[in-house]
Amino acid sequence: MNNLNITDLGAGYGKVTILKGITVSNVKPGEFVGLIGPNASGKSTLFKSIAGIIRPGTGTISLGDIDLVTAGRAQRSRRVAYMPQAYGCNAALSVFECILLALKQANRWRVSSDDLDRVADILAELELSHLADKGIALLSGGQAQMVAVAQTLVRQPDLVLLDEPTSALDLHHQLSILATVRRVMKKRGMIVIAALHDLNLAAQFCDRLVLLGSGAVLADGPPGKVLALSSIEETYRVKTTLEQTRRNTLYVDARLSA
Amino acid sequence: MVASTDINTTRQGYQTRVARRYFALVLVAALLLISFLVDLTNGPGNFPLSMVLETLLDRSAHGIQMEVIIWDYRLPVAVTAILVGGLLALSGAQMQTVLNNPLAEPFTLGVSSAASFGAALAIVLGWSIVPGIGHMLVTVNAFVFALLTCGFILIATRVKGVGTETMVLFGIAIFFTFNAALALMQYMSSEDQLARIVFWMMGSLARASWEKIALGAVLLCLALPYSLFRTWQLTALRMGDDTALSLGIDVARLRVEMLIVISILAATAVAFVGTVGFIGLVGPHIARLIVGEDQRFFLPLSVLVGALVLSLTSIASKMITPGVIYPIGIITALIGVPVFVSLILSSRRERLS
Repeated sequence: MNNLNITDLGAGYGKVTILKGITVSNVKPGEFVGLIGPNASGKSTLFKSIAGIIRPGTGTISLGDIDLVTAGRAQRSRRVAYMPQAYGCNAALSVFECILLALKQANRWRVSSDDLDRVADILAELELSHLADKGIALLSGGQAQMVAVAQTLVRQPDLVLLDEPTSALDLHHQLSILATVRRVMKKRGMIVIAALHDLNLAAQFCDRLVLLGSGAVLADGPPGKVLALSSIEETYRVKTTLEQTRRNTLYVDARLSA
Repeated sequence: MVASTDINTTRQGYQTRVARRYFALVLVAALLLISFLVDLTNGPGNFPLSMVLETLLDRSAHGIQMEVIIWDYRLPVAVTAILVGGLLALSGAQMQTVLNNPLAEPFTLGVSSAASFGAALAIVLGWSIVPGIGHMLVTVNAFVFALLTCGFILIATRVKGVGTETMVLFGIAIFFTFNAALALMQYMSSEDQLARIVFWMMGSLARASWEKIALGAVLLCLALPYSLFRTWQLTALRMGDDTALSLGIDVARLRVEMLIVISILAATAVAFVGTVGFIGLVGPHIARLIVGEDQRFFLPLSVLVGALVLSLTSIASKMITPGVIYPIGIITALIGVPVFVSLILSSRRERLS
């Protein structure tokens, strides 16, 4: 199957090494992985390495039977969709066109009836149909973020990388974007890796958490296990208490360590 | 559950928009044809349209005088207006896309000041990089200098990476360098040469010739299909570099390829008729207001709008004072800018915020 295996990955920019020997094994289709860790821990660099935007120095990244490090651009972008951080754009394009253009990259030049169906489908699925004709520059932050998610999902990739999908969103939109992504990815059997700053959101939506600190994997496992580790306190430099809420979800109570 | 009516409405909404865009293309093309014919009938002599059309179909229909007026004077000018307008608007549209900035235009990277310097060099010193070109000296020199500038920017981006901001900064540096060099040329020139330099820089359609037209038409016929072939990648470029990269686009390569195309188009236009500002900015802007930035429609409509604007300007340049044909560069700014500003002010869809 299309399992993701990252083995001993080292990457950086020029002479600066950021990732040192990252190994994340056996991520299965339908698994929602939360990538957590403080600022500058290497989350974006890891995403860019997997998406082929920077070329890793060492290690392998395999998705099913293909090696993402050596795969060609076209092959990689058919399988992997990456949503960069801080999404903003002033192009005179409608929401429909933005999603269509993402679909057309790995596709024939002519817009087919099937293309229109796929775009309309994903808009309906993410409850964006009413925005289809609206200009991308006129959207609110939350709407723009949802469009960016739609751009990744419409390509029906096997692996979706979301770099801080909830940043700059209000509480309702944070929950709704993750719930929507989770619903779609479970239905289609995609792997999702999302970088999240909010540990409570990570606990609520992810099947598995990977904790990065200073470019290395410090912990990897189910949320209940990872969030209880002392390495969380050390990497984030806080005191935490893990509580079970009445809804049976996990709650990380964090305060500054004295 | 997803309602299928939603999906159908969305699809139909998009298809309606696409149909409207094709209509806009046809409409502007029709306006262009009308403007072209008006341009041909306009000028000293006041010949009726029927006479002009008959001479177009049969050169000698109304005698040798009419043949010379139409085929040697008016037709080259009218066709050049359309061609240069199209070249400038296409390169402007591409420059805005490649630099991911709607304020860019074909001369953003200093092409026009380099060309002006090249022309001045030829006028003052009679000196050219390409030997043995005789009467085409000024044109060829302007073209070569414009291309050299673009070559320099391409090499610089190889060294420094293709960040759009770096490229614009290089363009500003080139602009000031060549402006200073141009001022030096003007300082050194005789009165007669100075007049020629100034007149060259104003931009004039009177320099039209059938050789230039043939070359320009070939270029446009190569550049437009090539850009349309890259249309989905170009559209994606406007989403920002990271998104474009994540969609599997080789952004650096695409940018360099497009810059080469833009350079050739802009250098050709400026070498043919001198500096005609504003068309390369306003053509794409009007096109964007009408069809947005799906490049399948944006690029062809930019070409048509640019051609239309310059064709209308050509008419205006003959009509302001009967018997006098003003340099086109002056008219584009004087008449075009107020029209453009009012267009921005009246536009309900503010897209650039």
